[in-house]
Amino acid sequence: MQGPLIDTLARQGITRRTFLKYCATLASMMALPPAAGRAMAEAMAAARRPSVIWLPFQECTGCTESITRSHSPTLEGMIFDMISLDYQETLMAAAGHQAEEARHAAMKENAGKYLLVVDGSIPLGRDGAYSCIGGRSNVDILKEAAEGAAAIVAMGSCASYGGIPKANPNPTGAVSVSDIVTNKPIVNIPGCPPIPVVMTGVLAHYLTFGSLPELDEKGRPKAFFGETIHDRCYRRPFYDQGKFAKTFDDEGARMGWCLFELGCKGPVTYNACATVKWNGGTSWPVESGHGCLGCSEPDFWDAGGFYKALSVPADPLRIGAAAAIAGAGAGVAVSFANRAKKNVARQTHETLTVEDLEK
Amino acid sequence: MSLDAIPIHVIDPPSAEPGLSGNAPPLLRELSELAKRLLASGETSAIDLSALPLTPADLAWLQDTLGAGEISVSLQANGESTLNETACPGIWWVTHRNEQGAVTSQFIEVAFVPELVKAHPEDVKNGQEYLELLISDL
Repeated sequence: MQGPLIDTLARQGITRRTFLKYCATLASMMALPPAAGRAMAEAMAAARRPSVIWLPFQECTGCTESITRSHSPTLEGMIFDMISLDYQETLMAAAGHQAEEARHAAMKENAGKYLLVVDGSIPLGRDGAYSCIGGRSNVDILKEAAEGAAAIVAMGSCASYGGIPKANPNPTGAVSVSDIVTNKPIVNIPGCPPIPVVMTGVLAHYLTFGSLPELDEKGRPKAFFGETIHDRCYRRPFYDQGKFAKTFDDEGARMGWCLFELGCKGPVTYNACATVKWNGGTSWPVESGHGCLGCSEPDFWDAGGFYKALSVPADPLRIGAAAAIAGAGAGVAVSFANRAKKNVARQTHETLTVEDLEK
Repeated sequence: MSLDAIPIHVIDPPSAEPGLSGNAPPLLRELSELAKRLLASGETSAIDLSALPLTPADLAWLQDTLGAGEISVSLQANGESTLNETACPGIWWVTHRNEQGAVTSQFIEVAFVPELVKAHPEDVKNGQEYLELLISDL
Protein backbone atom coordinates (compact mmCIF):
# COMPACT_ATOMS: atom_id res chain seq x y z
CA MET A 1 0.00 0.00 0.00
CA GLN A 2 1.97 2.95 -1.31
CA GLY A 3 1.35 6.19 -3.16
CA PRO A 4 0.77 9.92 -2.90
CA LEU A 5 -2.43 9.66 -0.89
CA ILE A 6 -1.14 7.38 1.85
CA ASP A 7 1.97 9.58 2.10
CA THR A 8 -0.21 12.68 2.52
CA LEU A 9 -2.26 10.89 5.15
CA ALA A 10 0.84 9.65 6.94
CA ARG A 11 2.08 13.23 7.23
CA GLN A 12 -1.18 14.05 8.98
CA GLY A 13 -0.66 11.23 11.41
CA ILE A 14 -3.12 8.83 9.79
CA THR A 15 -1.68 5.35 9.91
CA ARG A 16 -2.05 2.51 7.45
CA ARG A 17 -4.19 0.60 9.91
CA THR A 18 -6.54 3.59 10.25
CA PHE A 19 -6.82 3.75 6.48
CA LEU A 20 -7.39 0.00 6.19
CA LYS A 21 -10.08 0.19 8.85
CA TYR A 22 -11.71 3.08 7.02
CA CYS A 23 -11.68 1.18 3.73
CA ALA A 24 -13.12 -1.93 5.39
CA THR A 25 -16.01 0.16 6.71
CA LEU A 26 -16.48 1.91 3.38
CA ALA A 27 -16.55 -1.42 1.54
CA SER A 28 -19.12 -2.70 4.02
CA MET A 29 -21.27 0.37 3.40
CA MET A 30 -20.93 -0.08 -0.35
CA ALA A 31 -22.12 -3.66 0.08
CA LEU A 32 -18.87 -4.92 -1.42
CA PRO A 33 -17.49 -8.23 -0.17
CA PRO A 34 -15.26 -7.81 2.92
CA ALA A 35 -12.13 -8.59 0.89
CA ALA A 36 -12.76 -5.56 -1.36
CA GLY A 37 -11.79 -3.22 1.46
CA ARG A 38 -8.16 -4.16 1.07
CA ALA A 39 -8.21 -3.75 -2.71
CA MET A 40 -9.77 -0.32 -2.30
CA ALA A 41 -7.12 0.68 0.21
CA GLU A 42 -4.37 -0.32 -2.22
CA ALA A 43 -5.85 1.58 -5.14
CA MET A 44 -6.88 4.70 -3.24
CA ALA A 45 -3.52 4.99 -1.56
CA ALA A 46 -2.00 5.43 -5.01
CA ALA A 47 -4.70 7.79 -6.34
CA ARG A 48 -4.08 11.36 -7.46
CA ARG A 49 -6.37 14.18 -6.35
CA PRO A 50 -8.97 15.04 -8.97
CA SER A 51 -10.31 18.58 -9.27
CA VAL A 52 -13.88 18.98 -8.07
CA ILE A 53 -16.18 21.88 -8.84
CA TRP A 54 -19.35 22.04 -6.75
CA LEU A 55 -22.24 24.15 -8.03
CA PRO A 56 -25.13 24.96 -5.69
CA PHE A 57 -28.36 25.83 -7.46
CA GLN A 58 -31.97 25.91 -6.25
CA GLU A 59 -31.33 24.23 -2.90
CA CYS A 60 -31.51 24.64 0.86
CA THR A 61 -27.82 23.83 1.59
CA GLY A 62 -29.03 20.69 3.37
CA CYS A 63 -26.87 18.52 1.12
CA THR A 64 -23.76 20.51 1.99
CA GLU A 65 -24.71 20.37 5.67
CA SER A 66 -25.08 16.62 5.40
CA ILE A 67 -21.61 16.19 3.94
CA THR A 68 -19.73 18.68 6.07
CA ARG A 69 -21.42 17.87 9.36
CA SER A 70 -21.07 14.17 8.99
CA HIS A 71 -20.26 12.18 12.09
CA SER A 72 -16.57 11.61 11.73
CA PRO A 73 -14.97 14.82 10.58
CA THR A 74 -11.62 13.12 10.24
CA LEU A 75 -12.98 10.36 8.03
CA GLU A 76 -14.91 12.61 5.69
CA GLY A 77 -11.99 15.00 5.96
CA MET A 78 -9.87 12.22 4.53
CA ILE A 79 -12.07 12.18 1.48
CA PHE A 80 -11.79 15.92 1.11
CA ASP A 81 -8.05 15.41 1.26
CA MET A 82 -8.40 13.05 -1.66
CA ILE A 83 -9.96 15.69 -3.88
CA SER A 84 -9.08 19.23 -4.74
CA LEU A 85 -12.30 21.11 -4.06
CA ASP A 86 -11.74 24.13 -6.28
CA TYR A 87 -15.15 25.79 -6.05
CA GLN A 88 -17.86 25.51 -3.41
CA GLU A 89 -19.63 28.80 -2.74
CA THR A 90 -20.63 27.94 0.80
CA LEU A 91 -17.31 26.53 1.95
CA MET A 92 -14.73 28.56 0.08
CA ALA A 93 -13.07 31.60 1.59
CA ALA A 94 -13.18 33.59 -1.63
CA ALA A 95 -16.34 35.47 -2.59
CA GLY A 96 -17.76 37.45 -5.47
CA HIS A 97 -15.54 37.89 -8.51
CA GLN A 98 -12.65 36.07 -6.83
CA ALA A 99 -14.79 32.97 -6.38
CA GLU A 100 -16.04 33.06 -9.96
CA GLU A 101 -12.45 33.46 -11.15
CA ALA A 102 -11.41 30.41 -9.13
CA ARG A 103 -14.11 28.41 -10.89
CA HIS A 104 -13.07 29.57 -14.32
CA ALA A 105 -9.40 28.87 -13.56
CA ALA A 106 -10.19 25.33 -12.34
CA MET A 107 -12.38 24.68 -15.36
CA LYS A 108 -9.66 25.82 -17.74
CA GLU A 109 -6.77 24.00 -16.03
CA ASN A 110 -8.62 20.71 -15.70
CA ALA A 111 -10.71 20.82 -18.85
CA GLY A 112 -12.22 17.43 -19.60
CA LYS A 113 -10.97 15.98 -16.32
CA TYR A 114 -12.78 17.61 -13.43
CA LEU A 115 -15.66 16.14 -11.50
CA LEU A 116 -18.71 18.38 -11.37
CA VAL A 117 -20.92 18.14 -8.29
CA VAL A 118 -24.32 19.82 -8.44
CA ASP A 119 -26.81 20.25 -5.64
CA GLY A 120 -30.21 21.84 -6.11
CA SER A 121 -32.60 21.82 -9.03
CA ILE A 122 -32.40 24.14 -12.02
CA PRO A 123 -35.31 26.53 -12.60
CA LEU A 124 -36.22 27.05 -16.26
CA GLY A 125 -39.19 29.39 -15.74
CA ARG A 126 -38.76 33.03 -16.86
CA ASP A 127 -35.52 32.15 -18.64
CA GLY A 128 -34.03 30.82 -15.42
CA ALA A 129 -34.33 34.15 -13.61
CA TYR A 130 -35.53 32.47 -10.39
CA SER A 131 -32.00 31.52 -9.40
CA CYS A 132 -28.90 33.38 -10.54
CA ILE A 133 -25.28 33.53 -9.41
CA GLY A 134 -23.19 36.56 -10.34
CA GLY A 135 -25.91 37.70 -12.72
CA ARG A 136 -26.03 34.43 -14.65
CA SER A 137 -28.82 31.87 -14.56
CA ASN A 138 -28.24 28.39 -13.11
CA VAL A 139 -29.00 26.69 -16.40
CA ASP A 140 -26.41 28.85 -18.14
CA ILE A 141 -23.72 28.08 -15.55
CA LEU A 142 -24.54 24.36 -15.57
CA LYS A 143 -24.26 24.06 -19.34
CA GLU A 144 -20.91 25.84 -19.30
CA ALA A 145 -19.48 23.77 -16.44
CA ALA A 146 -20.81 20.47 -17.82
CA GLU A 147 -18.97 21.04 -21.08
CA GLY A 148 -15.52 20.31 -19.60
CA ALA A 149 -16.55 17.83 -16.91
CA ALA A 150 -15.43 14.19 -16.95
CA ALA A 151 -18.56 13.25 -15.05
CA ILE A 152 -21.33 14.87 -13.06
CA VAL A 153 -22.56 13.97 -9.59
CA ALA A 154 -26.11 15.14 -8.89
CA MET A 155 -26.18 15.50 -5.10
CA GLY A 156 -29.55 15.19 -3.43
CA SER A 157 -33.09 14.69 -4.68
CA CYS A 158 -33.33 18.20 -6.18
CA ALA A 159 -30.36 17.82 -8.50
CA SER A 160 -31.27 14.19 -9.22
CA TYR A 161 -35.00 14.48 -9.86
CA GLY A 162 -36.10 18.07 -9.24
CA GLY A 163 -36.97 17.42 -5.60
CA ILE A 164 -39.09 19.78 -3.54
CA PRO A 165 -38.72 22.79 -5.88
CA LYS A 166 -40.28 20.61 -8.57
CA ALA A 167 -43.17 19.55 -6.30
CA ASN A 168 -46.60 20.42 -7.59
CA PRO A 169 -47.25 23.16 -8.78
CA ASN A 170 -43.53 23.70 -9.50
CA PRO A 171 -43.67 27.52 -9.56
CA THR A 172 -40.13 27.99 -10.90
CA GLY A 173 -40.22 25.31 -13.58
CA ALA A 174 -37.52 23.31 -11.75
CA VAL A 175 -35.85 20.38 -13.51
CA SER A 176 -33.05 17.94 -12.69
CA VAL A 177 -29.47 17.94 -13.98
CA SER A 178 -30.18 15.03 -16.31
CA ASP A 179 -33.04 16.99 -17.89
CA ILE A 180 -30.48 19.50 -19.15
CA VAL A 181 -27.21 17.62 -19.59
CA THR A 182 -27.50 14.53 -21.74
CA ASN A 183 -24.01 13.98 -23.12
CA LYS A 184 -22.05 13.31 -19.90
CA PRO A 185 -22.09 10.44 -17.42
CA ILE A 186 -24.27 11.48 -14.49
CA VAL A 187 -24.51 9.82 -11.08
CA ASN A 188 -27.61 10.60 -9.07
CA ILE A 189 -27.19 10.55 -5.31
CA PRO A 190 -30.76 11.27 -4.24
CA GLY A 191 -31.94 11.77 -0.68
CA CYS A 192 -33.20 14.74 1.22
CA PRO A 193 -30.45 15.07 2.30
CA PRO A 194 -28.31 12.31 0.77
CA ILE A 195 -26.20 10.06 2.97
CA PRO A 196 -22.64 11.47 3.20
CA VAL A 197 -20.95 8.13 2.81
CA VAL A 198 -22.67 7.58 -0.54
CA MET A 199 -20.89 10.67 -1.79
CA THR A 200 -17.56 9.50 -0.39
CA GLY A 201 -18.26 6.02 -1.72
CA VAL A 202 -18.79 7.34 -5.24
CA LEU A 203 -15.60 9.38 -4.95
CA ALA A 204 -13.73 6.37 -3.58
CA HIS A 205 -14.96 4.31 -6.51
CA TYR A 206 -13.89 7.01 -8.96
CA LEU A 207 -10.44 7.16 -7.37
CA THR A 208 -10.10 3.39 -7.05
CA PHE A 209 -11.30 2.27 -10.45
CA GLY A 210 -11.11 5.50 -12.45
CA SER A 211 -14.75 5.16 -13.40
CA LEU A 212 -18.18 5.77 -11.96
CA PRO A 213 -19.85 2.93 -10.08
CA GLU A 214 -22.52 0.79 -11.69
CA LEU A 215 -25.84 2.62 -11.83
CA ASP A 216 -29.45 1.51 -11.75
CA GLU A 217 -32.12 2.67 -14.20
CA LYS A 218 -32.63 5.87 -12.20
CA GLY A 219 -28.93 6.73 -12.40
CA ARG A 220 -28.16 5.78 -8.78
CA PRO A 221 -25.12 3.77 -7.66
CA LYS A 222 -26.33 0.20 -7.22
CA ALA A 223 -24.01 -0.33 -4.28
CA PHE A 224 -26.10 1.97 -2.12
CA PHE A 225 -29.43 1.91 -3.92
CA GLY A 226 -29.53 -1.74 -4.92
CA GLU A 227 -32.01 -2.75 -2.27
CA THR A 228 -35.03 -1.17 -0.70
CA ILE A 229 -35.10 0.22 2.83
CA HIS A 230 -37.56 -2.57 3.57
CA ASP A 231 -35.21 -5.32 2.39
CA ARG A 232 -32.45 -4.22 4.73
CA CYS A 233 -34.65 -3.04 7.61
CA TYR A 234 -33.97 -4.56 11.02
CA ARG A 235 -37.77 -4.56 11.53
CA ARG A 236 -38.24 -6.71 8.45
CA PRO A 237 -38.56 -9.93 10.48
CA PHE A 238 -41.68 -8.44 12.13
CA TYR A 239 -43.16 -7.72 8.72
CA ASP A 240 -42.56 -11.33 7.78
CA GLN A 241 -44.28 -12.43 10.99
CA GLY A 242 -47.24 -10.11 10.34
CA LYS A 243 -46.53 -7.96 13.41
CA PHE A 244 -47.43 -4.32 12.73
CA ALA A 245 -47.71 -1.12 14.75
CA LYS A 246 -51.20 0.27 14.18
CA THR A 247 -50.64 3.69 15.72
CA PHE A 248 -47.53 5.56 16.83
CA ASP A 249 -48.17 4.81 20.51
CA ASP A 250 -49.66 1.35 20.66
CA GLU A 251 -48.00 -1.78 22.00
CA GLY A 252 -46.76 -2.73 18.56
CA ALA A 253 -44.97 0.61 18.26
CA ARG A 254 -43.38 0.11 21.68
CA MET A 255 -42.28 -3.39 20.73
CA GLY A 256 -40.60 -2.00 17.63
CA TRP A 257 -42.81 -3.78 15.13
CA CYS A 258 -43.07 -2.99 11.42
CA LEU A 259 -44.34 0.49 10.47
CA PHE A 260 -45.83 -0.60 7.15
CA GLU A 261 -49.39 0.26 8.16
CA LEU A 262 -48.35 3.71 9.38
CA GLY A 263 -47.32 4.70 5.89
CA CYS A 264 -43.70 3.57 5.76
CA LYS A 265 -42.45 3.91 2.17
CA GLY A 266 -39.54 1.55 2.86
CA PRO A 267 -40.84 -1.13 0.47
CA VAL A 268 -40.66 1.19 -2.56
CA THR A 269 -37.66 3.29 -1.54
CA TYR A 270 -34.15 2.45 -2.61
CA ASN A 271 -31.55 3.84 -0.21
CA ALA A 272 -28.95 2.76 2.34
CA CYS A 273 -30.36 4.33 5.55
CA ALA A 274 -31.10 0.93 7.07
CA THR A 275 -27.48 -0.14 6.94
CA VAL A 276 -25.50 3.10 7.05
CA LYS A 277 -27.83 4.95 9.44
CA TRP A 278 -27.58 8.64 10.35
CA ASN A 279 -25.82 10.89 12.85
CA GLY A 280 -22.73 8.80 13.20
CA GLY A 281 -24.57 5.50 13.07
CA THR A 282 -26.78 6.55 15.98
CA SER A 283 -30.14 5.84 14.44
CA TRP A 284 -32.31 6.31 11.37
CA PRO A 285 -35.99 7.19 10.83
CA VAL A 286 -37.43 3.70 11.26
CA GLU A 287 -35.28 3.05 14.33
CA SER A 288 -36.65 6.29 15.79
CA GLY A 289 -40.17 4.93 15.30
CA HIS A 290 -41.22 6.77 12.14
CA GLY A 291 -41.79 5.27 8.73
CA CYS A 292 -39.62 6.07 5.74
CA LEU A 293 -40.82 9.07 3.69
CA GLY A 294 -39.19 7.83 0.52
CA CYS A 295 -37.11 11.01 0.11
CA SER A 296 -34.69 9.41 -2.34
CA GLU A 297 -37.38 8.52 -4.87
CA PRO A 298 -38.49 10.85 -7.68
CA ASP A 299 -41.48 13.06 -6.79
CA PHE A 300 -41.67 11.75 -3.22
CA TRP A 301 -43.31 14.97 -2.10
CA ASP A 302 -46.32 14.38 -4.32
CA ALA A 303 -46.54 10.64 -3.72
CA GLY A 304 -49.86 10.72 -1.91
CA GLY A 305 -49.28 11.17 1.82
CA PHE A 306 -46.54 10.19 4.24
CA TYR A 307 -48.95 8.39 6.60
CA LYS A 308 -50.95 6.52 4.02
CA ALA A 309 -50.04 2.86 3.94
CA LEU A 310 -48.91 1.33 0.69
CA SER A 311 -51.79 -0.90 -0.30
CA VAL A 312 -49.87 -4.00 -1.31
CA PRO A 313 -47.07 -5.99 0.26
CA ALA A 314 -43.53 -5.04 -0.53
CA ASP A 315 -42.51 -7.13 -3.44
CA PRO A 316 -45.12 -7.60 -6.16
CA LEU A 317 -43.13 -10.52 -7.55
CA ARG A 318 -43.54 -12.43 -4.33
CA ILE A 319 -47.09 -11.27 -3.75
CA GLY A 320 -48.47 -14.78 -3.15
CA ALA A 321 -46.18 -15.69 -0.28
CA ALA A 322 -46.20 -12.27 1.34
CA ALA A 323 -49.97 -11.89 1.15
CA ALA A 324 -50.45 -15.15 3.06
CA ILE A 325 -48.41 -13.78 5.94
CA ALA A 326 -49.60 -10.20 5.82
CA GLY A 327 -53.22 -11.14 5.20
CA ALA A 328 -54.22 -10.69 8.81
CA GLY A 329 -52.71 -7.25 9.18
CA ALA A 330 -51.60 -5.36 6.11
CA GLY A 331 -54.02 -3.59 3.86
CA VAL A 332 -54.28 -6.12 1.11
CA ALA A 333 -57.61 -4.75 -0.04
CA VAL A 334 -56.34 -4.04 -3.49
CA SER A 335 -58.88 -3.25 -6.13
CA PHE A 336 -59.32 -5.85 -8.81
CA ALA A 337 -58.37 -3.45 -11.57
CA ASN A 338 -55.17 -2.51 -9.79
CA ARG A 339 -54.25 -6.14 -9.36
CA ALA A 340 -54.69 -6.60 -13.07
CA LYS A 341 -52.31 -3.73 -13.68
CA LYS A 342 -49.74 -5.32 -11.42
CA ASN A 343 -50.04 -8.57 -13.32
CA VAL A 344 -49.35 -6.70 -16.52
CA ALA A 345 -46.45 -4.92 -14.89
CA ARG A 346 -45.01 -8.19 -13.69
CA GLN A 347 -45.17 -9.61 -17.18
CA THR A 348 -43.62 -6.58 -18.82
CA HIS A 349 -41.18 -5.84 -15.97
CA GLU A 350 -42.60 -2.34 -15.80
CA THR A 351 -41.53 -0.48 -12.68
CA LEU A 352 -44.34 0.23 -10.25
CA THR A 353 -44.52 3.67 -8.70
CA VAL A 354 -45.86 4.71 -5.33
CA GLU A 355 -48.92 6.13 -7.09
CA ASP A 356 -49.74 2.76 -8.64
CA LEU A 357 -49.58 1.08 -5.27
CA GLU A 358 -51.75 3.63 -3.50
CA LYS A 359 -54.64 3.42 -5.93
CA MET B 1 -51.28 16.47 40.85
CA SER B 2 -50.00 13.08 41.81
CA LEU B 3 -48.38 10.71 39.38
CA ASP B 4 -51.39 8.37 39.75
CA ALA B 5 -53.49 10.84 37.80
CA ILE B 6 -51.49 10.05 34.69
CA PRO B 7 -52.70 6.79 33.21
CA ILE B 8 -49.43 4.95 32.80
CA HIS B 9 -49.74 1.67 30.99
CA VAL B 10 -46.99 -0.73 31.91
CA ILE B 11 -46.26 -3.46 29.42
CA ASP B 12 -45.17 -6.83 30.74
CA PRO B 13 -42.01 -8.00 29.07
CA PRO B 14 -42.91 -10.43 26.31
CA SER B 15 -42.68 -14.07 27.26
CA ALA B 16 -40.71 -15.22 24.23
CA GLU B 17 -37.17 -13.97 23.81
CA PRO B 18 -37.55 -10.39 22.63
CA GLY B 19 -36.30 -9.24 19.30
CA LEU B 20 -34.86 -12.52 18.06
CA SER B 21 -35.54 -12.88 14.35
CA GLY B 22 -34.20 -16.39 13.90
CA ASN B 23 -31.61 -15.14 11.40
CA ALA B 24 -28.59 -15.69 13.65
CA PRO B 25 -28.40 -19.48 14.14
CA PRO B 26 -27.77 -20.29 10.42
CA LEU B 27 -24.61 -18.15 10.64
CA LEU B 28 -23.04 -20.78 12.88
CA ARG B 29 -23.23 -23.30 10.03
CA GLU B 30 -21.69 -20.79 7.65
CA LEU B 31 -18.87 -20.11 10.10
CA SER B 32 -18.26 -23.83 10.38
CA GLU B 33 -17.91 -24.07 6.59
CA LEU B 34 -15.57 -21.07 6.50
CA ALA B 35 -13.43 -22.58 9.26
CA LYS B 36 -13.18 -25.80 7.25
CA ARG B 37 -12.07 -23.77 4.25
CA LEU B 38 -9.42 -22.01 6.33
CA LEU B 39 -8.04 -25.35 7.46
CA ALA B 40 -8.10 -26.88 3.98
CA SER B 41 -6.66 -24.03 1.90
CA GLY B 42 -5.62 -21.29 4.32
CA GLU B 43 -8.14 -18.98 2.69
CA THR B 44 -9.39 -16.32 5.08
CA SER B 45 -12.91 -14.94 4.92
CA ALA B 46 -15.24 -12.58 6.70
CA ILE B 47 -18.94 -12.11 7.27
CA ASP B 48 -20.14 -8.53 7.17
CA LEU B 49 -22.67 -8.38 10.00
CA SER B 50 -24.16 -5.06 8.94
CA ALA B 51 -25.06 -6.57 5.57
CA LEU B 52 -27.44 -9.03 7.21
CA PRO B 53 -30.90 -8.43 8.66
CA LEU B 54 -29.93 -9.01 12.29
CA THR B 55 -31.63 -7.34 15.23
CA PRO B 56 -29.58 -6.10 18.19
CA ALA B 57 -30.87 -9.14 20.09
CA ASP B 58 -29.63 -11.44 17.30
CA LEU B 59 -26.16 -9.92 17.53
CA ALA B 60 -26.14 -10.29 21.30
CA TRP B 61 -27.21 -13.92 20.97
CA LEU B 62 -24.53 -14.60 18.38
CA GLN B 63 -21.81 -12.96 20.44
CA ASP B 64 -22.98 -14.80 23.53
CA THR B 65 -23.11 -18.15 21.77
CA LEU B 66 -19.66 -17.81 20.20
CA GLY B 67 -18.27 -16.84 23.59
CA ALA B 68 -14.92 -15.28 24.43
CA GLY B 69 -11.56 -16.80 23.60
CA GLU B 70 -8.02 -16.27 24.79
CA ILE B 71 -7.01 -13.25 22.75
CA SER B 72 -8.53 -9.80 22.59
CA VAL B 73 -6.82 -7.13 20.55
CA SER B 74 -7.67 -3.49 20.86
CA LEU B 75 -6.60 -1.09 18.14
CA GLN B 76 -6.58 2.69 18.57
CA ALA B 77 -6.96 3.99 15.04
CA ASN B 78 -9.43 6.81 14.53
CA GLY B 79 -11.60 5.37 17.27
CA GLU B 80 -11.23 2.04 18.99
CA SER B 81 -11.45 -1.25 17.16
CA THR B 82 -11.64 -4.54 18.97
CA LEU B 83 -10.61 -7.84 17.42
CA ASN B 84 -11.57 -10.57 19.84
CA GLU B 85 -11.08 -14.25 19.33
CA THR B 86 -14.20 -16.21 20.18
CA ALA B 87 -14.30 -19.49 22.05
CA CYS B 88 -13.71 -21.07 18.63
CA PRO B 89 -10.06 -20.31 17.77
CA GLY B 90 -9.70 -18.73 14.33
CA ILE B 91 -13.13 -17.07 14.55
CA TRP B 92 -12.69 -13.40 15.39
CA TRP B 93 -15.36 -10.89 16.33
CA VAL B 94 -14.23 -7.58 14.84
CA THR B 95 -15.89 -4.30 15.81
CA HIS B 96 -14.84 -0.97 14.35
CA ARG B 97 -15.86 2.17 16.22
CA ASN B 98 -15.47 5.83 15.32
CA GLU B 99 -14.02 8.47 17.63
CA GLN B 100 -17.42 9.02 19.21
CA GLY B 101 -17.55 5.36 20.13
CA ALA B 102 -20.36 4.44 17.72
CA VAL B 103 -20.02 1.15 15.85
CA THR B 104 -19.22 1.83 12.18
CA SER B 105 -18.89 -1.75 10.98
CA GLN B 106 -18.85 -5.22 12.42
CA PHE B 107 -17.41 -8.42 10.99
CA ILE B 108 -16.81 -11.99 11.98
CA GLU B 109 -13.44 -12.87 10.51
CA VAL B 110 -12.23 -16.39 9.94
CA ALA B 111 -8.43 -16.26 9.94
CA PHE B 112 -5.43 -17.44 11.91
CA VAL B 113 -4.62 -13.76 12.55
CA PRO B 114 -6.81 -10.88 11.29
CA GLU B 115 -5.16 -8.84 8.54
CA LEU B 116 -5.43 -5.60 10.51
CA VAL B 117 -3.31 -6.95 13.37
CA LYS B 118 -0.28 -7.64 11.18
CA ALA B 119 2.23 -4.83 10.77
CA HIS B 120 2.69 -3.49 7.23
CA PRO B 121 6.26 -3.97 5.87
CA GLU B 122 6.43 -0.25 5.10
CA ASP B 123 5.60 0.53 8.73
CA VAL B 124 8.13 -2.01 9.95
CA LYS B 125 10.71 -0.25 7.77
CA ASN B 126 9.83 3.08 9.36
CA GLY B 127 10.11 1.53 12.80
CA GLN B 128 13.47 0.04 11.97
CA GLU B 129 14.73 3.44 10.78
CA TYR B 130 13.52 4.96 14.02
CA LEU B 131 15.42 2.28 15.94
CA GLU B 132 18.59 3.22 14.04
CA LEU B 133 17.97 6.82 15.08
CA LEU B 134 17.62 5.76 18.72
CA ILE B 135 20.84 3.74 18.48
CA SER B 136 22.79 6.62 16.95
CA ASP B 137 21.72 8.81 19.86
CA LEU B 138 23.10 6.40 22.44
